[in-house]
Amino acid sequence: MTERTVEILEDSDRFVFPWQLAIPNTYPAGVVGSKFLIELRDNKKIKGIKCPECNQVYVPPRSTCKYCFGELSELVDVSDKGTLVTYAVSYEPTPVQPVEGTPVIYGIVKLDGADTGFVHMLGEVDPKQLEIGMRVKAVFKTKKKRVASILDIKYFKPLKI
Amino acid sequence: MGNRVAIVGIGQTYHKSHRPDVSQMELVNEAVRPALADAQMNMKDIDAVFVGNMETFEGIYLPDHSMVDFSGAYMKPGFKIASGGTTGCSILEEAFHCVTAGIFDKVLVAAFEKQDSGDSTGAITAATTPAWGKGQARGAIHEFAKQALSYIKHSGATEAHAAMVRLKADKGACRNPYSHLKLGLKSIDDILSSEPLEYPLRLFDFCPQSCGACAIIIANEEETKKITNKPVWIADTICVHQEIFRAGAFCDFTGKERYSQEIAAERLYKRNGITNPRKEIDMAEVYEPSDWEEMLIYELFGLCPRNEGWKLVEKGITEIEGEWPVNPSGGVLSTNPIGATPTVRIAECVLQIRGEAGEHQVTKDVNTAFATALGGPNWTSMILLKKSV
Amino acid sequence: MANEPAQEYIQVTYKKPRPYRWAAGEYLSRLYRECRDNKRLMTVKCQHCNEHVWPPSKVCGRCKKPSGDNWVVVSDKGSVVQFTYTNFPMFDPHVGKYMTEEHPFATIDLDDCEIYWVAKLEEKDKDKLKPGMRVQAVWREEGRGGGLDHDILYFRTIEE
Repeated sequence: MTERTVEILEDSDRFVFPWQLAIPNTYPAGVVGSKFLIELRDNKKIKGIKCPECNQVYVPPRSTCKYCFGELSELVDVSDKGTLVTYAVSYEPTPVQPVEGTPVIYGIVKLDGADTGFVHMLGEVDPKQLEIGMRVKAVFKTKKKRVASILDIKYFKPLKI
Repeated sequence: MGNRVAIVGIGQTYHKSHRPDVSQMELVNEAVRPALADAQMNMKDIDAVFVGNMETFEGIYLPDHSMVDFSGAYMKPGFKIASGGTTGCSILEEAFHCVTAGIFDKVLVAAFEKQDSGDSTGAITAATTPAWGKGQARGAIHEFAKQALSYIKHSGATEAHAAMVRLKADKGACRNPYSHLKLGLKSIDDILSSEPLEYPLRLFDFCPQSCGACAIIIANEEETKKITNKPVWIADTICVHQEIFRAGAFCDFTGKERYSQEIAAERLYKRNGITNPRKEIDMAEVYEPSDWEEMLIYELFGLCPRNEGWKLVEKGITEIEGEWPVNPSGGVLSTNPIGATPTVRIAECVLQIRGEAGEHQVTKDVNTAFATALGGPNWTSMILLKKSV
Repeated sequence: MANEPAQEYIQVTYKKPRPYRWAAGEYLSRLYRECRDNKRLMTVKCQHCNEHVWPPSKVCGRCKKPSGDNWVVVSDKGSVVQFTYTNFPMFDPHVGKYMTEEHPFATIDLDDCEIYWVAKLEEKDKDKLKPGMRVQAVWREEGRGGGLDHDILYFRTIEE
């Protein structure tokens, strides 16, 4: 029998239970999503998907075009370099953040050749040096550590020109 | 009375236990596309989108957000409803309210569940308070075990009757290309010898966990005439919530409570001038998580006197070829993509009224049918459908 | 198609628990305190319909009116109405593990209050279980507040 902890709020004599929802979940990436993750793992390549109707390239790829509701299947290469569209620096740790430690710098990067922003993290940069519009480049984990996950990209780092 | 509203398109996925090949959102898309094709419509023709899903079952929150592109809601009014087991019916009810009120002309509803992604029983257990839950809440199975025990005590039905309901469901499921479990059960002995789940429920007495989605398109009368020559009209909808009973969501020990199904049916029939549902309605697709529950449902929906539901089964009245078919599709016992389960009930009624159910088309003519949903602590939704109004 | 290798499908598993704090509120806290400090069950009798409200709540489940503050002791003895048991493990989302419950669960009609409560039975031998059998709560020596598992181990068969 697993024991449970119970707290009583001191000021009001009412019970509060610190608890958790601990259900493991599995998220299938789907057909094009799987191809995207496999390319990260096997070839360090970032793939987008193109809607020929609307001339849009989505990264990560999705199977439906949001503009024309067309079914998409044409995977295209996009660059591992891009422009920082916006960012946020998170100093407060949360139990569900993707990496250990703080600060976590989240950024939206418009990769060269893509029409959508790509959400990831920024690294090898002092938060003070961050600037919207700066050029960044994907840093991949080593082959051994790549497992077909969005975190096979370690982060994006500033591109020194 | 508001505008008349009809169902002009339906679509569902093939339901399976696992779908590792699609994301949750792609699964929704798999139902939306055939619904559009069925109505010969484009996403551009749709005014608004209502979606439904059981949050926490898949471990995502606000599924309506990630669903936008795949449900076609992009830049349209979009709404999500999560009302437990009734979700897939609630979305159609709300869409119906909007169209009958003249707010929208053509609305798409889409619901899904992808139960290979999480643990639904765990999620249902988590829906109870952590303080009260442990020990009392053991998912839906426990509630329906209690329901079965109560039903046995009050009605005198035996395990054989429950097994007959299960056998009927499997017969339908084996003829339905979209159904999940097609067991090919030969006799009630197959059910009675299946492994114990929670006394008195056995494995085959209870519904499976399915991955699947279902979409329905509705339109007002004017648009319906332009879209299709085989509309199925929504005559009425009703929803009744009931407080959780003192020791069970689906059975009452005090003898003082009224079931939401009973009240919903009473109101729906009264509003629509129905005095004898067995004569004035032709068939139904009901939400029966267990075979025992189906027998109680017959009674609560007024198809027979109280405690005599098992007699309908014994006489074969609710079989596909029977006098009053119930769940010719195989029902929830065969296919259970929870959020979409009621939507499938409605879509199956539409197929029966159109006469397009193929191998599981009922023998009798179907002009009027109802679909039901059951959820949470004894909630009921009902949709009354007609071939003509 | 036949010559193409089968597509590999990627599935990402996410296991981190999502923590939260659940507040019991005024009425449940009163019950939990009684369980912990006095090893007894208490609830309100509705001021409007005179029914026992269970679990205690500000609003009466029967008549939907404010239930008032007529707190009364509820018997921890009762009769088993029906019982179920299972031997397959079920996922406990609060613990994050599959757990097998060895004890049967019973719906117990607590004496003189028309409260039907689902709780565990001490008796694991299914052959010794029958509807109508008399049971009484076995309280934990050190109650922690929180009712049920926190304060009551199970219900024990009693001879009367």
